[in-house]
Amino acid sequence: MTYHFRQALLSMRGNVTATFATLTTMTLTLLMLGFVLLLTLNVDRTLEQLESQVEVAAFLRPGTDGAALLTQVRSLPQVRGATLATSEQVLDEMTRDYPYARDAAQLAGNPFPDTLRLRVGRVEDSRTVAAAVSALPGVQDVEYGAGYVDQTVRTLTAVRGAGYALVGLLLLGTLFNILNAVRVAMYARRNEISVMRLLGATRGFIRMPHVIEGVLLGLAAAALALALLTPAYLGLASRVQLFAPVFPIVQDLPTLLPILGGVGLLGVLIGLAGSLFASRRYLRELE
Amino acid sequence: MIQFKNVTLEYPVTRTLALDDLSLQVAKGEFVYLVGHSGAGKSSFMNLVLKRALPTRGEVRIAGEALTRYRGRRTALLRRRIGTVFQDNLLLDHLNAYDNVAFTLRVTGVPQREWAGRVTTALRTVGLEHKKYALPVQLSQGEQQRVAIARAIVADPPLLLADEPTGNLDPDHSREVLKVLQNVNLRGTTVIVATHARDLVETFRHRTLTLRKGRLVRDDPYGGYAL
Ligand SMILES: Nc1ncnc2c1ncn2[C@@H]1O[C@H](COP(=O)(O)OP(=O)(O)OP(=O)(O)O)[C@@H](O)[C@H]1O
Ligand SMILES: [Mg+2]
Repeated sequence: MTYHFRQALLSMRGNVTATFATLTTMTLTLLMLGFVLLLTLNVDRTLEQLESQVEVAAFLRPGTDGAALLTQVRSLPQVRGATLATSEQVLDEMTRDYPYARDAAQLAGNPFPDTLRLRVGRVEDSRTVAAAVSALPGVQDVEYGAGYVDQTVRTLTAVRGAGYALVGLLLLGTLFNILNAVRVAMYARRNEISVMRLLGATRGFIRMPHVIEGVLLGLAAAALALALLTPAYLGLASRVQLFAPVFPIVQDLPTLLPILGGVGLLGVLIGLAGSLFASRRYLRELE
Repeated sequence: MIQFKNVTLEYPVTRTLALDDLSLQVAKGEFVYLVGHSGAGKSSFMNLVLKRALPTRGEVRIAGEALTRYRGRRTALLRRRIGTVFQDNLLLDHLNAYDNVAFTLRVTGVPQREWAGRVTTALRTVGLEHKKYALPVQLSQGEQQRVAIARAIVADPPLLLADEPTGNLDPDHSREVLKVLQNVNLRGTTVIVATHARDLVETFRHRTLTLRKGRLVRDDPYGGYAL
């Protein structure tokens, strides 16, 4: 085993260019993958939160029977729950957030109408519900947050898709580089390999240094990627938390560790699989 | 030990007929010369025995088993039982004589504690015990060839194939190498030597197989160079 290990290190030192190229693409792949996974995680979290918050507000004409409308909208299938806030209650809430609201109301009268607040199960349903509710008699106007939700979801999904496409491309690049690195390394010791074959070395024995090389490269790339990704993410997360606290950025380690660990493990697996494949192909060509 | 039955070998790309309907047997413990002009098929014969090539037609049997039955790992195991001294498999130039010989033991998984004894014995057999720390460049060609023989016999294979073992050597060194091969044979190893060297074949007489254009044209049990 020490022999194979030494051979692996020797061959990596002997082919600095190929080793470096493989290490770079592999690290980039893992970085990109980590980025996409973390993005997905946060997008999902945000969506969950938005969904629990998506609210359709229906403003009622003065003198409308709010209680009757309330039972009516509660029977809509997409509606999870509904409450009625009288204009007085709305004013109270607003006063809590903006103390001057009460003063303004005293001058100009309470500007807030009675309001029905509906919680909708899924973001996509909010538009339908809004349309249905606005058609009811006594409803003056309807407001819902779907506009910006739609936009955000679409953007994030697109970014995520592009990220996965990039991961795919980078993965191909990585495999190509491993193939090349192993081929160069095996070519460099072709004399030794031909002697080994004639002396009766098994294929596994001949391939072992190159498989070790692949795994070492995978380990190195994983370590590099994690060393870059983890602080960058945590830094970014605390920034976002500071400036845009509405986004529920995931920061707890029990959730992050499996993802980061998975990225690291994948690095090693790519190195292993790539070098196994490459060394087998090279020996096959020699037959 | 080795059995060829109507063996034809045609190299696929060039469609060269290297061996043509060749039938012969080599028994355990024999010393056999394989002679013939350049291109007669001597190396091709050896390649078949090592399963570096497969016959196009006919059957090759080694140790009673058809060549095609030595698959995967068994190919490696077959080759462990055959020592080779080939011109295209010279010594590894970054290893000294000792490590070159020990390389056989390393790649076949012999425990390291057995190496010293075996390597020393093998180097003694070829008379080079005192040169074990010399790199190939520090050895004469005859000495290099003897180290290659030591590497081929260190695992005690029952069969030794030598392809032009005296190729670049002067007559004195050639004789030395041949004496070493005879000694190996005396210890019970079957030895097959492919050569052009007429004087050697006539000096150290052994069974001689003569090939011409891939055909066996003569099988002389008492030796003699008949071209
Ligand atoms: N790998 C190969 N591919 C195609 N043709 C080959 C190959 N090896 C040998 N040949 C051809 O097969 C024939 C027999 O070659 P072989 O090497 O067996 O001859 P040989 O008797 O060993 O010759 P020499 O004394 O020059 O070593 C020759 O015509 C040669 O050109
Ligand atoms: Mg030849």
